[in-house]
Amino acid sequence: MMLDEQQLQKLLRLKRFEQPPPGYFDRTLTEFHRRQRQELLRRSAFQIWSERLTSGLWSFRVPRYAYGAAFGAFLVAATIVGSGVWAPTRDAEDTNSSLTSVASTPAALEVSSNKLALSGNLDWSKFDHSSASPRVVPVLRPSQTALPRYVLDGKPVSFEASFSF
Amino acid sequence: MDDQNLPDDETLVRLTQSGDTRAFDLLWQKYSPRVYSLIYNMTSNHEDANDLLLEVFAKAYRSINGFRGKSSFYTWIHAIAVNMTINFVKKRGRRFQMSLDDIDANVQNDKEFIELTATNTPVREVDLSELQHRLNEAMMKLSVEHRAVVTMFDIQGMAHAEIAKILGVPEATVRSRLFYAHRQLQNYLEEFRKK
Repeated sequence: MMLDEQQLQKLLRLKRFEQPPPGYFDRTLTEFHRRQRQELLRRSAFQIWSERLTSGLWSFRVPRYAYGAAFGAFLVAATIVGSGVWAPTRDAEDTNSSLTSVASTPAALEVSSNKLALSGNLDWSKFDHSSASPRVVPVLRPSQTALPRYVLDGKPVSFEASFSF
Repeated sequence: MDDQNLPDDETLVRLTQSGDTRAFDLLWQKYSPRVYSLIYNMTSNHEDANDLLLEVFAKAYRSINGFRGKSSFYTWIHAIAVNMTINFVKKRGRRFQMSLDDIDANVQNDKEFIELTATNTPVREVDLSELQHRLNEAMMKLSVEHRAVVTMFDIQGMAHAEIAKILGVPEATVRSRLFYAHRQLQNYLEEFRKK
C-alpha cells in the first residue's frame, strides 16, 4: 500500500522535532556577535558606507505601472517617428546647407579642382592640412534621376562555363 | 524573555534601524529557530545550516535600513534565508552529508509526537528512525525549490499565500510544486517500503 497524502504529511511533520541541542541558539548568537565585531574591524569605512548605499538603492522600488508607462511612451514615440509625422529633418537640412556652404568656399573649390589633377602632376604643397581648413563630409542621398534597372536573363560571370567560346 | 513579551516586529525593526543592537538580538531570539529549521530542512546538514543561519542574519542586519515594512519581518527574513540557501545548495551541487537526522530524545515525550506515532500509520510498521532517515534522503532527491515549498508548508505549517510571498511566485505555482513534491516523496518512500 502506498503512503497516502495524509500519512506523508504526518511523517513530514515529525521533522519539526529535528532540532539542535538546547542552548544552541544562545551560543550561536554569541558567535554572531563575535563575527560582526570581526567584520567591523576588517572592513574599511568606505566598504561599510558603500554597502549601506547599495542596500538603500535596492530598497528603492519602481512601481509596477512605471514599466508599462515607459513602454507606452516608447510606443508613442516610435509611432510618431515611424509614421513621419515628426522627423528630425531640420538637423539634416542644416548639415546639407552647411555642407553646400563649405563646398563653395574657395578652399574647397581649390581642393575639388585638384581632384582632376590626381592623375597628373599634383602639387601637394597646395593642400592645407591645418585644422582650420574646411572638411568636406560625404552625404549619402538617394539619386533623384536614377531609374530602376533590370537584368533579364542575366548570369553572373562566375557561372559562365570556361569552355564557352 | 518569552516570545509573547517581546515588542512587536515593527518596533524592533525601527529600533534596530536607529542603531539599537539589542533590538536585533530580540529579533534573533524570535526568528532564529524557524529560520534554522528552514535552512536545515533544505540542506540536511547541521554545519551548513549553522553557517547559513549566521550569514542570513548578518545580511539581514546589514540590509535592515532598506527594509521598508511592505511585508512582515518574518516574510522578509524567510525570503533572505530561502534565496541564500537555494544559492548555496546550487553551488554545493550534489555533494552533501546528512548530519542531523536523529529525533531529539526529549521530544519522545512530546504530546504531538506521541499522537503522530501512536496511530496505525506506516510510521509504526517500519522502524521510525529508519523511515525518518529515508524521508531525509527522499527530501534531498527533490529539487531545492520543491524542498523549500515542502519545508515551509508541511514542516513549518505556513499558508500557501505566505509561501508565495516569500518565494515571489503565484500561489498556483506553490500548489503545483507541492503536489509534484508529494508525489515524488511518496514514490521514493514506497520504493523503500518494498525493499
